Amino acid sequence: MMVCIRKIAILLLALALNACDKPGLAPKNEPYRFVIPAHFPKPAFDTGNPASRAGVQLGRMLFYDTRLSADNQVSCASCHDPKLAFSDGVKLSDAGVSATALLRNSPALFNMAWANNGLFWDGGATNLESQAFAPLTAHDEMAQDLDQLVMELNAAPAYVSGFQQAFNEPVSAQNVAKALSQFQRSLISADSKYDRYRLNSHGESLTVDELKGQALVRQKCQSCRAGELFTDQSFHNNGINSDFSNTQHEGIIQGRYRITYEPADLGKFKTPSLRNLAFTAPYMHDGRFDTLDEVVRHYSNDIKGSTTLSSHLPKEGFGFSQLEKKQIIAFLHTLNDYSFTENPNHQKLANH
Amino acid sequence: MIRIIIFALLSALFFACSDDENAPLVKPVATGELSLTFDARVGNTDFALDKDFTIGSQTVSFTKLRYWVSNMVLVDTKGTEYMVPDSYFLMEEVGELDLSGTINDKLIYPANKREMITLKGIPAGEYKSVKFSIGVDARHNDNLSLRAGELSIANGMSSIVWMWHSSYIFSSLAGSVKQGSETKTFKAETGLNANYKSMTIDFAAPVNSATAKGVVLLVDVAKILNGIDLIKNSTINAATAPLMSAVATNQATKAIAFGSTVQ
Repeated sequence: MMVCIRKIAILLLALALNACDKPGLAPKNEPYRFVIPAHFPKPAFDTGNPASRAGVQLGRMLFYDTRLSADNQVSCASCHDPKLAFSDGVKLSDAGVSATALLRNSPALFNMAWANNGLFWDGGATNLESQAFAPLTAHDEMAQDLDQLVMELNAAPAYVSGFQQAFNEPVSAQNVAKALSQFQRSLISADSKYDRYRLNSHGESLTVDELKGQALVRQKCQSCRAGELFTDQSFHNNGINSDFSNTQHEGIIQGRYRITYEPADLGKFKTPSLRNLAFTAPYMHDGRFDTLDEVVRHYSNDIKGSTTLSSHLPKEGFGFSQLEKKQIIAFLHTLNDYSFTENPNHQKLANH
Repeated sequence: MIRIIIFALLSALFFACSDDENAPLVKPVATGELSLTFDARVGNTDFALDKDFTIGSQTVSFTKLRYWVSNMVLVDTKGTEYMVPDSYFLMEEVGELDLSGTINDKLIYPANKREMITLKGIPAGEYKSVKFSIGVDARHNDNLSLRAGELSIANGMSSIVWMWHSSYIFSSLAGSVKQGSETKTFKAETGLNANYKSMTIDFAAPVNSATAKGVVLLVDVAKILNGIDLIKNSTINAATAPLMSAVATNQATKAIAFGSTVQ
């Protein structure tokens, strides 16, 4: 009975995600079966971009295609490698067309269907559909001429039919953004050791240290690393800087302030998830910490005070003992989802 | 039980999508055309680029006037509203704009003067007022992949780089300002959802869509800048939130008025 309701719910959800498609000449385009992990909340996004199988597949083709960049050398995957949970393993990437270092660390991409409170470290794009245009056009990323992109994609029959199938429309920059968004929302990571333990599957259990670490994380970190997504999708000043007066590079170190111009948002950055940390080093918006040891040490002893410091953080730090630090890191490692980084459905298509 | 759930969900689905925002609220019986002209002026003088205007104690010469007019609704004498579908219009008076490096290596936007919107398929009726907004509603402003009307990220009226919010620029006014011996170039831009402003303009007398050609609204650019000292504040944008909000409020509450009916 429960199983049955669950199936129906999934089916109806798939229908719902596709229900607002315009009727008409559209070729039969199956809705994408978006399976919500049992312990996850319902994703909430309304971007006028219902996912279809063809759309996700098209987005996947585009994601790995270097034609998206001005010199045809850079793809989304240049900075978002599936083996690294779609992050890039470097502090500040210079993989862009200009070959100059970016000003912020490339974020990992997973569970994006729940990322409904702004993208980028400062939340400057409301949704993936708007976000896509920034890396596509930024001179130090893909530096793409969008008209040129449409021409190049139109020269590839697989894309001409792919766009037609996914959107019943010809190639357009807007539909590139939509397809990329659909693919990114399909990247669900919910099969870590912790998840199996949490769902009582495969007889998974956590060690004593891992359980102690879980209790510490839930007690000390939960206000920001909330729920099963291990992020509140919000913005906080986590005490890695205390001076935000530098307005260089359009206020890049000022965090969320550069979007809202609210003084209370100075130094606030988006909360990344605690999932998949084994793959997503280095850490923080500028990639300043190479290891989890350094990150935990920061929260334990190195908090820098300022007027906008998160009220959830004690000014003097949490003062974790060596054992507690070890336990916290042990628990964090239970959140690594190895099946996610190996998932063949997320990889570059072989024939493309 | 399951049946009830399915029924509830299904009806929710159908209900959820029946609200097509672009659908006219009344079914057209007989349809016609009506033009709406946004006649830009400075006080009582016609607006022009590269011409000196005296605004208060300052002399202002403009190089650019651009703004989005959106979500237009015609209201007839019975109070029935006709929502103009796909109504996102870019009103502008600009010289050639170099937009290179925005979405394109080399992109020149041609000089253009556009003050008139031609509304087609208007249901026959006696209209008493028009409602519209300056800027782009949050739904479209927050999602650059949605296409509607003249919305485009390719005309320099959007911010898709890392500047501020990835969104549309609602209005943009630029030029130079002179006071005494001091001269400054200025640029006043508005944007962000909080500055999306709606207004209603009542016509002096009902306009019959079957006989009238259109309506002229007067847009006083001097009033858009009411209370703003351009010498002191020569750059107005998201970084100067109160000034940006003042410009947006001026445009919505002071600058636009009914002018005449074109018969």
